[in-house]
Amino acid sequence: MTEAEKKEILKEVKKYIKDGLHEKALKVLGGLSEPSDDFVMQSRYAALFKSIPEDALRLKKLRIAILPTSTTSHLGDVLKYWLAREGFAADIYEAGYDVVHQTALDPKSPLYEFKPDITLIFTNYRDVKCEVRPGSSAGEIQKALAGSVRDFTSLWDAIQKNSNSYIIQNNADTPYHRVFGNYEAAAPWGHLNMLRAFNLELAKAVPPGVTIFDLDHAASAYGKKRWCDMRYWYHSKHAFAPDATGPVAYDLAKVIGSVKGSAKKCVILDLDNTLWGGVVGDDGLDGIVLGNGPAGEAFVDFQKFLLKLKRRGVMLAVCSKNEEETAKEPFLSHPDMQLKLDDVVIFRANWLDKVSNIKEISSILNIGLDSMVFVDDNPAERELVRQELPMVSVPELPEDPSEYVAALSSHAYFETVSFSEEDIKRSDYYRADVTRGQFQKTYTDLSGYLKGLGMEMAVGGFDDFNLSRIAQLINKSNQFHLTTTRYTESQIKAMFSEKNKYCRYFKLKDRFGDNGLISAVILEKAKDGSLAVDTWVMSCRVLSRGVEEFVCAEIVSLARQSGCKKIKGRYIPTKKNRLVSRLYERLSFKMVKEENGETHWELDLDGELPSYETFIKKTSSEEYAGKKGL
Amino acid sequence: MEERTEIRKRLNRVFREVFGDDGIEISDAMTAKDIDEWDSLMHIVLVVAVEKEFGLRLNAAEVGKLENVGAMIDILQARAKK
Repeated sequence: MTEAEKKEILKEVKKYIKDGLHEKALKVLGGLSEPSDDFVMQSRYAALFKSIPEDALRLKKLRIAILPTSTTSHLGDVLKYWLAREGFAADIYEAGYDVVHQTALDPKSPLYEFKPDITLIFTNYRDVKCEVRPGSSAGEIQKALAGSVRDFTSLWDAIQKNSNSYIIQNNADTPYHRVFGNYEAAAPWGHLNMLRAFNLELAKAVPPGVTIFDLDHAASAYGKKRWCDMRYWYHSKHAFAPDATGPVAYDLAKVIGSVKGSAKKCVILDLDNTLWGGVVGDDGLDGIVLGNGPAGEAFVDFQKFLLKLKRRGVMLAVCSKNEEETAKEPFLSHPDMQLKLDDVVIFRANWLDKVSNIKEISSILNIGLDSMVFVDDNPAERELVRQELPMVSVPELPEDPSEYVAALSSHAYFETVSFSEEDIKRSDYYRADVTRGQFQKTYTDLSGYLKGLGMEMAVGGFDDFNLSRIAQLINKSNQFHLTTTRYTESQIKAMFSEKNKYCRYFKLKDRFGDNGLISAVILEKAKDGSLAVDTWVMSCRVLSRGVEEFVCAEIVSLARQSGCKKIKGRYIPTKKNRLVSRLYERLSFKMVKEENGETHWELDLDGELPSYETFIKKTSSEEYAGKKGL
Repeated sequence: MEERTEIRKRLNRVFREVFGDDGIEISDAMTAKDIDEWDSLMHIVLVVAVEKEFGLRLNAAEVGKLENVGAMIDILQARAKK
C-alpha cells in the first residue's frame, strides 16, 4: 500500500470514529499501519487512536511509567497505539525529562503514586559512563564497566524497593560514530567495545522482575546512520531519529505484551509449499523441493527455524489437506526433512476445512485460539481463517520461501521475558497428552483410567528454583484461574518470607511422562482465623485427572496445621475462566455471597470434612526427581 | 513573489495534514500561539513533515527557528534558491 492510499483510508477511519464505529476504525487502522511507517504517519495513527473514547474498545488496562533521560513525548502516544494493537489500553505516566534518579529514589515521587504495572527506564548510550582512556588495562576496563552497570542496578533496586512494578530497561544503542573507526571493535578499550561489553554485563545483572529491551537491536535494524540524527538531540533532546519512533514503539509494545503473557503458544503449519516446495501427493517423496537448490535450502532453513521455536517451547502442529499417510512420508523418510513427527504435537492431515481442524487442535491442546499462529502459503486459506477465526494470528507469507523466516519473525509473536526448563519440555508434555487421550479410550470408566495412569505428585513451598515457572503459570493462566491475580517474579519472591502466606506448587508425573509444575496456590491466613485462597491456578493440560481434588485436600491439611477453622475461596468471573465458576461447589464449599457475578465460598473445618477422592500418590520432591533413598 | 505563494500553498497543505484540520489558513504572522495543538511535540511532527514535503534536511538551528510561518517560508525560500 502506498502512502497516498493509506492517507485515503485514514479519512475513512476518521469517519468511522465520528460515526461511533470504534472497533471497525481500529481494525482498519490495524490493517494499514506498519511499524516502519514514518513519524508523520505514526503521529496520525496515534492521533486517530487517541480520538477513540477509551471505554469504547475492549482493551485490558495497563499502567506504564516512563522514566526517560531524553525527550519521549513523541514516543508515548505512538506506543499507546501499538499497545492497543496488542490488546492493551495503556495509561502512561511520563516523568520529566532527566529526573530519573530523583524520581526513582524518592518514595513519595509521582512515579509511586501512579502505581505502574510496568516501569520503562528509557536511556541511551550517552547515559552509559564507561569511557576509558585508550590503552586501558583489563582491570581499568572491568572497573569502568562495573561502575556503569551499578548506575543502572541501583535504579532498579530503588524502584523494586518502593513498588511492585515490573521494570523494562533498554540497553545501550551503540552509536554510529567511532573515534578509532574499525579498531574500536578490536581494542577492548574501544568505546564501541566498551558499550558492547556493558550490554552483556547489564544483561548478567538482571534480577527477577527486570528485563532488557534491546534498543541496540532496534537501532541496528533501523540503520545506525539514520538512527543517530543528532539535529533532534541538539534541538530538543530526542535520542533517536523521529522516523525510528514506529519501530521502537512496536518492539516495546511486543516486549510489554510478553511481560503480560500475550505471546503465542502454537504454530499451525500447512505442508505443501509451506514446509517444502511442491505437492507431495502429486510430486511424490523424491519430487518435492527440499534440500537441493536455492528454494530447497530455504525450506530447510525455515524448518530449522521452526525447530528452534519448538525447542524454546512453542508448539508445532500440522494442518494440511492431504492423505495422512502421504503427508507423513517426508517426515519419516526424506533425508533433508528437519522436522520429525516427534516435533509435531498434533498432526491433522485430512480433507476437512482448515477452520474446523484449527478449532479441533485448539480444543485438544486446550489452548485458546488467540494463542495460535496459522502459517499457510495459500492466500485463500489464510483469508478464510482470518474471516472465520479472527483471534488466530495469520501472517502474510511471501511467495519466495527465502523470506519465510523473516515473515514469521517480523511479527514478534513469540516474545518472552523468561525461559524455564518447562519451556523446553512443553511440546513433549502436550504430545504425551495426546497419547494419554488415546490410552483413555481403552478404558470404559474414568477411575480405571485414572488408576492406570499411575500418577505421582510432588508438593513444595515456592522457591527460587521454581520461581520463573510459578510466575509464568500465574501470569499466563486464564482458564483455570479463580481470582485473576497477576504477580511479578519480585512480588512472588517477596511472599516466600511472609509469615501469614502459604505458597505451594504441584508437580505431576505419570506413566506417560512428566507433566511438570502444573498448579500453584497462594493462601493467606486472615485475621479472623480463616485461610483465604488468594490465588489458585492450574494448567488446563491436567484437567479432569483429580488434580483439583488433590490440591484442595492439600489446602485443607495446610489449614488444619496452621489452626484455621475455615477456608475462604473466591471466584472472579472473566471472559475466559467460566471453567472454574462452580469449582468450589464441586469441592463441597458453601456459597456465602454473590455480587456482580463474583462468588464467595467457605468450607467449615469444624464439621465433617468431605473426602476428596483422587488416584494421585503424594511423593517427596526428592523421590519425584528420581533421587530415591539417601 | 510567486515562488513564495507557491511555497505557502504547499506549506498550508502540510499544516492541514499535520493538525488534521482542513480549515487551517496559514499566514506569515502565524505562530505556535495561534494553533492550540502546536506544542513542542507537534513542532517536531511539523518539522519532519516539512522536510518530507520539500525534500530537504534542515539543520539543528533551523529546526528551532521555525516557530512562525513567515520564518518557515523564509528558510524554505532561501533553500530553494541554493
